Amino acid sequence: MILHLNHTRRDSAAASTAEVVSSVLALLEEKRLMPAQFARLQMYLDWLQYKQNFREPVTVTLPPGGRAGAFPTEIRVDSRRVAPGTFRDSLRRAICSATAAEKDSAGRLYLEEFKSFRESIAWQFNRLYWQRLKDWEAASGKPYEQALPGGKSDGHNPDAIAESVAEFWTLLKDLESRNQLPPEVFLLEIGVGMGTRARMWLDSFSAIDRERGTNLYPRLRFLLGDYSMSTLERSRSTVKEHLELCSSIALDALDPIKTLSFLRHKILYVHSTNTYDNLPDEEVVWRGNRIYWVWARAYLPGEDAARIAALCDLPVSDVIKTIHRLLDVGPDCLSDRAKGMLFWMEIWKALRTEERLMDTMDLPDVSYPAGLSPTQMEDILQDAPGDLRFHLSTGALESFRNTLPLLHPRGYLQVQDIFVTDLHEYAMGFHGPGKLDGSIVNWVNGALLREVAERSGYNIHFVPFKYRPESKTSILYTTQRE
Amino acid sequence: MKLPVLPTTMVGSYSMPGWLERLKTDYFARRISRNDLDDIHDTVVKAAIKDQEIAGLDIVTDGELRRDNMIDYFIERLPGVHIDRSSKKFYYDFYDSEVVGKIPMAPLGLVEDFKFLLANTERVPKVCVTGPHSLTKRIRNKYYSSEAALAMDIARVMNMELKELVKVGAKLIQIDEPYYSGFPEDLDWGIAVLNALVEGVDAKIAVHICYGNRYGKPSWEGSYRYLFPRILEAKIDQLSLEFARRGGEDLELFREFSVPFELGAGVIDVKTHVAETPDIVAQRIRKVIEFVPAERVVILPDCGLFHVPHDIAFAKLRAMVQGAHTVRKEIGD
Repeated sequence: MILHLNHTRRDSAAASTAEVVSSVLALLEEKRLMPAQFARLQMYLDWLQYKQNFREPVTVTLPPGGRAGAFPTEIRVDSRRVAPGTFRDSLRRAICSATAAEKDSAGRLYLEEFKSFRESIAWQFNRLYWQRLKDWEAASGKPYEQALPGGKSDGHNPDAIAESVAEFWTLLKDLESRNQLPPEVFLLEIGVGMGTRARMWLDSFSAIDRERGTNLYPRLRFLLGDYSMSTLERSRSTVKEHLELCSSIALDALDPIKTLSFLRHKILYVHSTNTYDNLPDEEVVWRGNRIYWVWARAYLPGEDAARIAALCDLPVSDVIKTIHRLLDVGPDCLSDRAKGMLFWMEIWKALRTEERLMDTMDLPDVSYPAGLSPTQMEDILQDAPGDLRFHLSTGALESFRNTLPLLHPRGYLQVQDIFVTDLHEYAMGFHGPGKLDGSIVNWVNGALLREVAERSGYNIHFVPFKYRPESKTSILYTTQRE
Repeated sequence: MKLPVLPTTMVGSYSMPGWLERLKTDYFARRISRNDLDDIHDTVVKAAIKDQEIAGLDIVTDGELRRDNMIDYFIERLPGVHIDRSSKKFYYDFYDSEVVGKIPMAPLGLVEDFKFLLANTERVPKVCVTGPHSLTKRIRNKYYSSEAALAMDIARVMNMELKELVKVGAKLIQIDEPYYSGFPEDLDWGIAVLNALVEGVDAKIAVHICYGNRYGKPSWEGSYRYLFPRILEAKIDQLSLEFARRGGEDLELFREFSVPFELGAGVIDVKTHVAETPDIVAQRIRKVIEFVPAERVVILPDCGLFHVPHDIAFAKLRAMVQGAHTVRKEIGD
């Protein structure tokens, strides 16, 4: 058996490692585990950063071609959530669930077939959250920013904004000195949210422009981009002092150039905060010089399904139907809206995924994110640890690649988000998917972004967010690759 | 071979296939030999020539498919320029290079490329050469007193090569100087260097100046106004500029400064992956000939097609040729 310790939390590591080893050896002694099975067993000890996530404390990933009945070769343990003394039972239960026929899988209520996580129903919940943010906030009694670590967005840090503005002002002055300043200076905020950052940025630019007497402010054309019309509407009232310079654009963060192709090579500054970590994503495993895709299947644990049904006065048999209705019409899926909200929040809390590894050879139609070829991927993995599970950051890569063509030759992109900047970091911590309020959060694979950037003519740099010491966010910024 | 009015040509490079990129990178990783790579290059150059002929171009190039990029192919051949061969991660990257002593006279080996082109086409061949100003911008100068001095010495070496090209039959030579647009302040000495480069070279000389096409994106923005009137001192026959992506506003400069040169007019946007229709091309050509007589206009893309996928690059060339045909008919040629 190989035991992988994927975190650096000393206290929980020591206790859980000892319990894992003794439990597995006990199962071996009891002949519940055969020597051949023991020999190829891989145990992964994680410490899940997000208290709300899609895993049970002990989960089993079926091997490639794994069918019900096949013995798992991969078992993942959340060291944070396994209560001392309970691991052995949890392990036995997890193995039973994974090896039992589907109908006996502890009464799990499956919401879909196995598929790449980027296509999972979980993302429909994520979309619903952003579309119905007001409803969620009203029901939970707190604005979504309070769910963020630190209780507010790092994107709204005044010092960071002041520095960003000063940097941009310097660029404009340099262009002006070379007679290259365009008559209209385009800026784009992707995922504008409530518009708070846009307002702070424009306030700051206006102040610096007035103070220095440069008269650049009237040239600005600030594009507020978001896919939610209601969000755009809310952001407009926030930037009301600057409305003459602002345009609200319904924009798919995955494909900004599709909406803004008329501004190809014209935008001098593109910014987004906490957008990439919320775009559809999936994971792959690099093992034995082969790439395996992690497929997932969303389910509700049987006891949770029964509990939620009772709470919302529904027969258990109606839970799946009601979930689909929820995703279509929101909390009005039940005649009592408050109960509809309760249903949504409880279902989201209970939602879990089972996993299965798929061999690339068995997936002829599988596609890598735009800008990343299988050959490039193999090159990147040449120096990676031998057994590694990591994010493809499909949505982030797509968004990145579809944003770059908008940049003016002197323009730059800044993305404030949570990044894994080196593939080795994946072996030292859990990077999602987690649940943040009603949305999904994944760390973004910066190593892959770097590769795509270089082939597109940009270098990217990650600078840790220095304005809040405990912040986990970094700022990605692009520079021209000569 | 007599050329029609509004003759069509490429700026120089043709679409680089993804598989060739991988093979070039394999060569740098020492996974394939120089011999294999040369053989592969011969084959793709023949295919690029054939594509241009099928598309109906009047003047053809070798597609520059032997080159990693517009710089390295030349600095590798310039004696006295030291190259850090470990500085490339991907074949298209630029080498780190420096010059630490006077550049000696030596052949650059471009003649062999041209002979290959000549042997494989009956159309009018064009040879394209990166100019000394652009090369100077990518070489760390540790010897010469100034960039201008380095560029002048590069021009001296390249001048000999251009004369050799003429000896084997080159009648049309294009000098690529896109870095003018990034460093307009260099133009005073840039033109002097250009004139030294073409001194005594008995061929039609074209100069291509665009706003950059590195990684298929512009490197600079602005107006061609910076070229005038200084460019009029250049001993050249044709000025090749981009107008498809940037629009035709700068065409007015040809009228304003009574420019005596032929105009190589860029009418195909090489920074989009959508093929223009022949109608759009014809419309762009009509706009050009409002400012420059058709007899002095050559039709070409804005820049090289290096970054454009093959099927789209070919479709763009077809549309360009068809658009030119349409306008030729309209003007009775």
